[in-house]
Amino acid sequence: MFSDLRFRLRSLFRRNSADTELDDELRFHVEQLVEQNVQSGLTRPEAVRRARLAFGGIDQVKEECRDECGVHFIETLLQDIRFGARVLRKSPGFTAVAALSLALGIGATTAIFSVVYGVLLRPLPYADSNRIMAIFEINPKGTRSRLADPNFDDFRDQNRSFQAIAKYEENDASVSGIAPPARQMIADVSPGFLKVFGVQPMLGRGFSAEDARKGAGPVVLVSYGYWKQYLSSSPDLLQSRLKIDGALFSIIGVLPAGFQFPADVSLWVPADLDGENLSRTSHNYRAVGRLRDGVTVEQANRDISAIARHIHETSSEQGDYLLKDGTVLPLQDSITGNARRPLLILLAAVGFLLLVACANVANLLLAQATVRERELAIRSALGAARGRLVRQFLTEAFLLSLLGGSLGALGTYWGVAGLLALAPENLPRLDSVSISLPVLIFALLLSTAVAAGLGAFTAARATSGNPRQGLTEGARGQSGSQGSQRVGRIIAAAQIAITLVLVIGAGLLGRSLMKVLQVNPGFRVDKIVTMDVSLPWVEDPKAKASQGIFFSNLIDRLKQIPGVRKVGAASVLPLIEGGLPDGMFVLMTQNEMPKNLDGFNALFRQKERIGIADFCVATDGYFQALGIPLIRGRIFDERDGADSPHVAVISESLARNRWPGQDPIGHTIEFGNMDGDMRLLTIVGIVGDVREYGLDAPPRPTVYVNLFQRPRSAITLTMLSDADTQPVTSAARGILRDLNPEIPAKFQTFSQIYSASLGSRRFNVILVGCFGIVALLLATAGVFGVMAYSVSRRTSEIGVRVALGAGRADVLRMILGQGLRTIFVGVAIGIAGSLALTHTVESLLFDVTPTDPLTFGGVTLLLIGAALLACYFPARRAASVDPIVALRYE
Amino acid sequence: MAITRIDLPQGTLDLLILRTISLGPLHGWAISERIQQISSAVLQIQQGSLYPALHRLERRGWIKSRWGTSDNNRRAKYYELTKSGRQQLEVERDAWEKLTAAVAQVLGTT
Repeated sequence: MFSDLRFRLRSLFRRNSADTELDDELRFHVEQLVEQNVQSGLTRPEAVRRARLAFGGIDQVKEECRDECGVHFIETLLQDIRFGARVLRKSPGFTAVAALSLALGIGATTAIFSVVYGVLLRPLPYADSNRIMAIFEINPKGTRSRLADPNFDDFRDQNRSFQAIAKYEENDASVSGIAPPARQMIADVSPGFLKVFGVQPMLGRGFSAEDARKGAGPVVLVSYGYWKQYLSSSPDLLQSRLKIDGALFSIIGVLPAGFQFPADVSLWVPADLDGENLSRTSHNYRAVGRLRDGVTVEQANRDISAIARHIHETSSEQGDYLLKDGTVLPLQDSITGNARRPLLILLAAVGFLLLVACANVANLLLAQATVRERELAIRSALGAARGRLVRQFLTEAFLLSLLGGSLGALGTYWGVAGLLALAPENLPRLDSVSISLPVLIFALLLSTAVAAGLGAFTAARATSGNPRQGLTEGARGQSGSQGSQRVGRIIAAAQIAITLVLVIGAGLLGRSLMKVLQVNPGFRVDKIVTMDVSLPWVEDPKAKASQGIFFSNLIDRLKQIPGVRKVGAASVLPLIEGGLPDGMFVLMTQNEMPKNLDGFNALFRQKERIGIADFCVATDGYFQALGIPLIRGRIFDERDGADSPHVAVISESLARNRWPGQDPIGHTIEFGNMDGDMRLLTIVGIVGDVREYGLDAPPRPTVYVNLFQRPRSAITLTMLSDADTQPVTSAARGILRDLNPEIPAKFQTFSQIYSASLGSRRFNVILVGCFGIVALLLATAGVFGVMAYSVSRRTSEIGVRVALGAGRADVLRMILGQGLRTIFVGVAIGIAGSLALTHTVESLLFDVTPTDPLTFGGVTLLLIGAALLACYFPARRAASVDPIVALRYE
Repeated sequence: MAITRIDLPQGTLDLLILRTISLGPLHGWAISERIQQISSAVLQIQQGSLYPALHRLERRGWIKSRWGTSDNNRRAKYYELTKSGRQQLEVERDAWEKLTAAVAQVLGTT
């Protein structure tokens, strides 16, 4: 084997010396023959002649020897490459268009693949990350939900599937200490957390059982990023303290770079230092676990499910909020689950674009192959084997695809940067999207696949004819190659069909976006500056009350900023991810107030007394700033002091659905399970509905309570202002610093929030739209190419027709008719394909059916129009053919 | 061409070459001469076809070549058996003998 290789290589690289040697060797033999013949009495010329006869064709022998040396394969390959490169160089226009089409297709596909890979496929950056599971309760509605503390404890203690299991919950808090105050995401985690992820602190230690004990001294682990940014990477921090929401925490360790779970969290603290919540229906935590070796996901699922069903059967807290079942799924799937479908749809869309681009190149190659028919005919007449020609075509296709693929990969570099800039903020794992080795391998495989497809296609087309026919047809240079023209038209029709599917998809998404934008959200978006302020969390009613006063002062001061017209506050603004908490309230009067928990439970079992609504803490200014209309009654005002009877304002849909045909104003409800305040709320007003969960989600029934009666620690202020954002922001920052320098604030305009809430939708529309437009251009160019080519091949035929009396209009009609047939076939297939495929995007649509006739009709007309235009120019040229010139043609 | 000429069965040429140079290094011309002589001119090979076969054998590592000087003081390429060539010769000779014996037996009994 080795000698074989060495021999081949020597023959290849020492080609010249090997050649001379062969020459010498053969010459020696022939001369010996001649010598022998001369000695046997022949004249020298006769001796030479006989010798040649006896030896056979010298060149042929040499060729066979070279074959035997094994140079041949590599040599022909090099020859093919050189020849292919020459062919590509000789027609730079063709090469440029073909390579750019492929670059576009391959580049766009690779860019989207890099996102798909980074988000969906790349393993999470933890040891054996496929063994890490997310654990959920399943609520009676059948959806996954967070875990209640006692339920988690049962899962933890009774399961036989996990070697480590932990609960966690993230929230933001103001953090100060060594660093200036800032709002940070903090995770409350139970002791097994680091073990689940297989992570050790790079500095210091992890949580001990002691740290998690009720009433233990508070400790905190910091992320590598936080350590670098806020603690200046100092190694001896371990005795330093951070002030988190007013309490001091000792730093015990730094987690390694790259550990970031949950995303955006920079600090981890032990959960439940003040003890657990004992309710089985307060769903506060999410949970993760690492499977024991040998345990499958299904086994773990059955295990957790059995424990959950046991809780369901035995718990005393029956009702709509008690879990019904439990489930387990890989953490990666649970993180990326929602992103999966849209990303795969994008990948499919870009795949369609690639197909259209390849079809274009196939058509170009086909036209070129027809031009080269004579060359091929001559080559095969001279003895080139079919395999040799096929190889030639494959080589050319590979050259072209690699050229296109390299350009495309280069373009991917910018494409990925663009995608990342455009991607919606809520797309998970965006930080793991990059041009990595697997992405480049994907690009290479894609180019190879494209090359193989295109090469096989052209080779099959170009070598299928018989050479003699090629020669004669080529000689006539006329209407011939009917076959290849038909193939060209089939390809053009396919392009139209694929493009139609793509553009209809884009149209449906675009129309959905337009419909969403037309939705009346129920509130004003522009001219609003928002300011998140979060005070340390407190439970003591007096401390709470003083926080209410703090906010009241803050609002009064903010109102004095020049240009600010209204200032309000709410617990959570509409369109913010996560939204408001919801819960069950009870209709009751003060006289019916139960004495104990059992009495409450009895009330909650009376269906006619309960209602479900979102719970929002707000101020009067909130409704005014956001322009949420008062329908009836009144909003909060100065009558509603902290000591006056508590009041509530409810949303229109709640009034309509909970009190059909009645006036809810004056009714009293108890909604204390939301904030622990059991005082009754008297309904005083009805306001307009607000689409708080997104423009595309229906408004939810909402109960608003007064911030000054039901204070809370974290609120978002809303300032309606005619002034520019910048001065308002800095004035507000100054006022807050004035009141309490340790409280950080985060500013945004409401327009930014609005815009971010449409991020995913916009992302999809822009991408699929771009793919659609590019595919449309490519398909139009494809149709134009096929028609122009057909006309040029039929020039003399048209000349004959004109000479025989056909008018311009007849010729125009003939060519357009031919084009129309192609277009209609393509459109028909495209519509059928769209009908079959658009339901896959149904979940991304809003107020538009997957078979929306307007979109289908509009896009079809657009496509027919563009394709007809592409046919018109070649047809007009055909119609202006001068018969004399045409008949002389060639 | 008029002499009774036997077309060599596939692969036989390799065997003949290996056998011929098993006695000592020879150049191409000498190999063809020797084969003709020994076979009493019955096996007349198209002389050109000798060389592709030599190159093939060399690539397989059964023979090796070096340049030397011929009897009449000309530069000539000499081929000789390698160790694996010698084994190959035995293998092929065995195979050939079995084949001919079998064929002869079949012919003899019919």
